Amino acid sequence: MKIDLKDLTIEKAHEALEKGEYTVTELVNAYLEVIKEKNGEINAYLEVYDDVLDQAHKAEEMFKEGRATLMTGIPMALKDNMLFEGHIASASSKILENYKATYDSGVVSQLKKQGAVFLGRTNMDEFAMGSSTETSAYGNTKNPLNTDYVPGGSSGGAVSSVAMNGALVALGSDTGGSIRQPAAFTSLVGLKPSYGTVSRFGIISMGSSLDQVGPFGKTVRDTEILFNAINNYDEKDSTSIKKEDRLTPHPLKKKIGVPRSFLSLDGTDKEILQNFEESCNKLESLGYEIVDISLPLIKYSLAVYYIICPAEVSSNLARYDGIRYGLSEKANNLLDVYTKSRKNGFGREVRRRILLGTYILSHGYYDAYYNTAIKVREAIKEELVKAFLDVDVIITPTSPVMPFKFGEKINDPISMYLSDLFSVPANIAGVPAISVPSGKNKDGLPFSLHMMAPFLREDILFTIGKDFEKIVQ
Amino acid sequence: MKLEDVKKLANLARIDMSEEEMTIIAKDFDPILAYVGQVQEALKSNESIFDGKQSEDHFLHNVMREDIVTNKGREYTENILADAPDIENGFLKVKQIL
Repeated sequence: MKIDLKDLTIEKAHEALEKGEYTVTELVNAYLEVIKEKNGEINAYLEVYDDVLDQAHKAEEMFKEGRATLMTGIPMALKDNMLFEGHIASASSKILENYKATYDSGVVSQLKKQGAVFLGRTNMDEFAMGSSTETSAYGNTKNPLNTDYVPGGSSGGAVSSVAMNGALVALGSDTGGSIRQPAAFTSLVGLKPSYGTVSRFGIISMGSSLDQVGPFGKTVRDTEILFNAINNYDEKDSTSIKKEDRLTPHPLKKKIGVPRSFLSLDGTDKEILQNFEESCNKLESLGYEIVDISLPLIKYSLAVYYIICPAEVSSNLARYDGIRYGLSEKANNLLDVYTKSRKNGFGREVRRRILLGTYILSHGYYDAYYNTAIKVREAIKEELVKAFLDVDVIITPTSPVMPFKFGEKINDPISMYLSDLFSVPANIAGVPAISVPSGKNKDGLPFSLHMMAPFLREDILFTIGKDFEKIVQ
Repeated sequence: MKLEDVKKLANLARIDMSEEEMTIIAKDFDPILAYVGQVQEALKSNESIFDGKQSEDHFLHNVMREDIVTNKGREYTENILADAPDIENGFLKVKQIL
């Protein structure tokens, strides 16, 4: 039977599976067929797992035994930096080309219990360093909306798997915008949850104080369902927030803050600003009050990020040394094993950022850069906490630029880094943020609205997101 | 940034790098460092609300567990060694250290 994948949602699939309209195996096969047809060109998936049909079978047992929940049998994709025991996880790097995970990451473990079906691992910028998926050691991923364009990054493969109908939902990771920006570039919903809500155990680390795992879906509701499935305390992640410390929702003020001076910085496309104004009008028509707010420090978020992140990267990637796992080059002495393995295993952007981080943390520069950045970080956090006393959310466009073509930004690091301008504040402050589609331009390229909510208030993002989603259609 | 500086960093980071790449990185670093150097400005800015104190919500604290063995003997050994580049008699084999 032909299953309509284009308009499928988690709840529709769940109902159909409960009623027996089709089986999990039939649903999974429908997605496998799309992958067979499209993945050769799109390169969303680096690998389709060989045990997909076994997973489907286990999910079917859960339905038979009446134990099925919303995520049971749902075909989904994992970003290549998420450990799934017995399967390769390479962070799209040559240095981990054949690395087989020896344990399940927290999120995989939680979703396994619910019977979700992991179809495969998706392409990404190498070690999540990039905003276009062009730094992957395994080739580019093409934007399914228009294959001349990048899908964004670093979760470019994950969004493309959903956008091409090769997965119903997917998980990505976000350190400076790597969920929200590719969601914007492929007209999907992407959520970066509050720092500490989703387990980082078994997620290949990039910037440990910034990384968060989060969901992609075609709708806000699907994104919410997947988030709820992984929004759990994990004792194996020492930054995980205990259940009793998570907040309960309370009513909205129905006020939305716009940081006007932040928006008027150079570099944002005119048509994006215009679409943003239209989004503001739409929100007003829904009964929200739009107010200008002043966030004098927020514009320093990107500079703070490009100090803290490379510093943490240089530390986190020290473990790839050719000794315990990963690429190991033959050499005459120990030092050469390290230096040659890392030379041949890491790509250009990774080597650049490690060196930048090494510089930032080195004697004589530590105070000027790293120490200063962490102080400014605290000040930015406080600035947002104060702003949220008045407003429910703070909105901007997700990306200052429209999706771009391959090769346009890859040789200009600062231009690439600037595409994170509106997304990094949420990583710096640890607050939740969502990207929701807000229309298309005359070339069919997508616009997107970005919303930040107070710490632990994902519920606000879902509420306003669902309202906004209805009116954009 | 001079080539000599980049050579020192590459050595610290344990990455073998060609002179060509190090020259490019030396060139790339200057605009990046100029951009991120803005944080100095943020600290000095008189609009700053920063007063050196962390709000109570943001206090970092250590998360500890009991220093006890929680896995069975050799529970993960086989899987871990399967990923190792070179092994001998259940040990990781490496180049001479001393």
